[in-house]
Amino acid sequence: MSDPLNLVFGALADPSRRQVIGYLSERETATATELTGELPMTRQAVAKHLATLADAGLVESERQGRETRYRLTQTGAEWDDRLDALKQHLQRRRGRA
Amino acid sequence: MIHREIVLPAPRAEVWEALTDPERLEDWFANDVDLDLRPGGGASFRWSNGEERHATVTEVDFERRLTFEWEDEGEVELTLDDDADGTRLTVIESSPSWSTALDFQASALACV
Repeated sequence: MSDPLNLVFGALADPSRRQVIGYLSERETATATELTGELPMTRQAVAKHLATLADAGLVESERQGRETRYRLTQTGAEWDDRLDALKQHLQRRRGRA
Repeated sequence: MIHREIVLPAPRAEVWEALTDPERLEDWFANDVDLDLRPGGGASFRWSNGEERHATVTEVDFERRLTFEWEDEGEVELTLDDDADGTRLTVIESSPSWSTALDFQASALACV
């Protein structure tokens, strides 16, 4: 069974993956290369752990130029959209006044 | 816990109105809004995609602070503060669900 919670707990069960999460929560973002330099793991192991964490929705990646940066999944994206809409709403009203 | 802060280019009174007047809310938050602005009052939000959410107002501090509880899960706190460029709006949404436990887990791990 691979419901979302099983994936999450499966991903968290591994101490190396918890190290990856701990590192990302400290530094906000990191590349696989940076993680390999900081943690006692091979690059292949880091890449595999990042893929498992991403499958569980705990980590997301973002391409910046040639590198891929990883970070803990940010919650509350809906508030970014709502606050953006609120700001535009206020600007429209002030533009009319 | 979700935490957002934004500085809005309008005075506090106007931001408060945008947050609490159903007609204003219908211009940015949802397509159809009912809001009974008093502690214990009900709030309903409907969107054009058929989504619908209900909440109960828990605290109303005029032009300062508004809190409500989603019926499905979580509490939202909206706080207004004066800012040189208008009004600073702080949003905190807390949820008792497992996502909070994960946030806690991540910060606990960061301390190891």
